[in-house]
Amino acid sequence: MKILIDRFNGVDKFVQAYDLSIDEVKGKTLLALLQHIKRTQDISLNFTSACRMAICGACGVRVNGHSYLACDTKMDDLLKEYDNPESLKISPLANFKVLSDLVVDWEPSIENLRKIKPTITPKEAFSDKKGCVQTQAEVDAIKKQWDCILCGCCASECNKLEADSSDYMEPFVFTHAFRAAYDSRSKDALKHLKPSIANGLWMCVHCQECADRCPKGISAADDIAMLRVMAMKKGLKDGTGPAHAEAFLKDLEDTGRLNEIYLALRSEGVLANTTKIDIAYNLMKAGKMNPLHIFGDEEIEGHEDLVKMIEAARAANKE
Amino acid sequence: MQQKDFAFFPGCVLSQAAKESKMSLEAIAPILGITLHEIKGWSCCGASQAQDVDPIAALVANARNIALAENMNMPMLTTCSTCMLTLTRAKAALDKGAKDRINEYLAKGNMKYQGNNEITSLLWILYENLDTLKSKVVKPLSNLKVALFYGCHSIRPEKSYNAKESSTNPKSFEAVVSALGATIVPFEKRLDCCGFHASYPAVKSVQKMSSQIVGNADKNGADCVVTPCPLCQMQLDIYQERYQDAMGSEIRKPIIHLSQLVGLALGLSNEQLGLDLNIIDATKLA
Ligand code: SF4
Ligand code: SF4
Ligand code: FES
Repeated sequence: MKILIDRFNGVDKFVQAYDLSIDEVKGKTLLALLQHIKRTQDISLNFTSACRMAICGACGVRVNGHSYLACDTKMDDLLKEYDNPESLKISPLANFKVLSDLVVDWEPSIENLRKIKPTITPKEAFSDKKGCVQTQAEVDAIKKQWDCILCGCCASECNKLEADSSDYMEPFVFTHAFRAAYDSRSKDALKHLKPSIANGLWMCVHCQECADRCPKGISAADDIAMLRVMAMKKGLKDGTGPAHAEAFLKDLEDTGRLNEIYLALRSEGVLANTTKIDIAYNLMKAGKMNPLHIFGDEEIEGHEDLVKMIEAARAANKE
Repeated sequence: MQQKDFAFFPGCVLSQAAKESKMSLEAIAPILGITLHEIKGWSCCGASQAQDVDPIAALVANARNIALAENMNMPMLTTCSTCMLTLTRAKAALDKGAKDRINEYLAKGNMKYQGNNEITSLLWILYENLDTLKSKVVKPLSNLKVALFYGCHSIRPEKSYNAKESSTNPKSFEAVVSALGATIVPFEKRLDCCGFHASYPAVKSVQKMSSQIVGNADKNGADCVVTPCPLCQMQLDIYQERYQDAMGSEIRKPIIHLSQLVGLALGLSNEQLGLDLNIIDATKLA
């Protein structure tokens, strides 16, 4: 079969095809395959790896446009996944600058990590003598996120990052912000939360690629949601993102269902919405938006009970 | 398919901006032997937005939604991928330990979540009943070239759907549309995100994402884009002119619901399928 590899020599980008027998492919990990090609066919092929056991994060690459940790991915599984194809395409992680072949530049991502201050300042209650003791539940709350090995698989497929990275950070950066902000030992969650908000917290498009691609089972999308919950609780509500989210909750409480007119008005404000008059007009003309909804909707059947349930949940979960 | 009854969860989008999705679904259902019983008193699922403000309130609302379907003794069916994901994840949270606690709150309205019900989507039902679907096709769509856009929440995260289908190489949509006889064009953007959920806070990025999808479908010669998710349809249809203009593109492409495409193959009319309600003219596809 053919293994097609995206190459970059510092000047030109090109695709190189390597012919391998199926026996050379089967039974190997993706990393072993790359090493095999380097050893037997092309010493000039560049890629990174170190631990070969899924803990250093160095070996992330893409196969057929999806990211994988090379040392933790079996070629047999890839062949099965892609229906025993005649060729597979291996590329460097997307959304990173390529330095050489499959090697990417981590410096900008590390700069982003610095922004969210991933180290923790302990609460006054802790001291050298007493240490920073946590309960099991407090450890469990952030345990998963400590597993992040900075492999970049999530960032590679992030749809928001692909569209525009100038106002958005890599998903794993939010995961590390979550880990620090939700750590019971941390003196000041805002130190991690505020730079997250300033760098795109409300811009995640919910594509769920990060959750799908993470070899450690971490969901940066969920961590982003939890950071948002914290932001709302702490009253950091500026912008259309928080307003939009609140509008959903308000409709749920008011009637049980969304009101598309209120949703637009509450999310963007009346003035901003005049810029969407063409779209509103199209929707009304097509009979898809009922202008009478501006006077409010009818409540759903059982709405009173729904409100009672929500209130009971809130009362019980009050901190 | 045996006559099959479902507790139908339309979700807010089907009752408002994507009403043609509901019309077309209700038009094809009886032909396919599906009976839809709309869940009385269903509420908004929170659409992964209310969850950012008050996750416990959203979980309670969805536990209630699922409990309403359980009371009907029928599997729960939705066509909205975000509703599907939100309900499925709520169910997983309940089954993995939140059930007893949440049931205390549901008791305020004399309700109880049991955890004995299945949640499924139109795409899944059709995929599981390809033979029935094929046997009902009266107008194979071989002249129609379609680009299939899955939409994130119908496939991702794979583990939330218990790996029911691969999210890197899914097949259900292709299988269903092949059964209708339509010609599927290559489409590099088929697994991408339309950006719907951030269309307010990240408008510039979202406009680029949506526009690239429409552009890519056009480049590959598609007559239209089809999607199983009404939110993707809405995003790519109602904002299309504005986004294409903003990106300096003149491409205009009809975006239709899976249920509308099925309806065309079943020989239903534009009016029955609400194709005249789509914003980008879709009435000439038939
Ligand atoms: S869900 Fe959000 S953070 Fe995760 S990949 Fe998508 S846009 Fe990026
Ligand atoms: S969150 Fe997962 S995918 Fe992202 S860098 Fe960390 S380990 Fe890799
Ligand atoms: S080589 Fe260390 S994670 Fe793969």
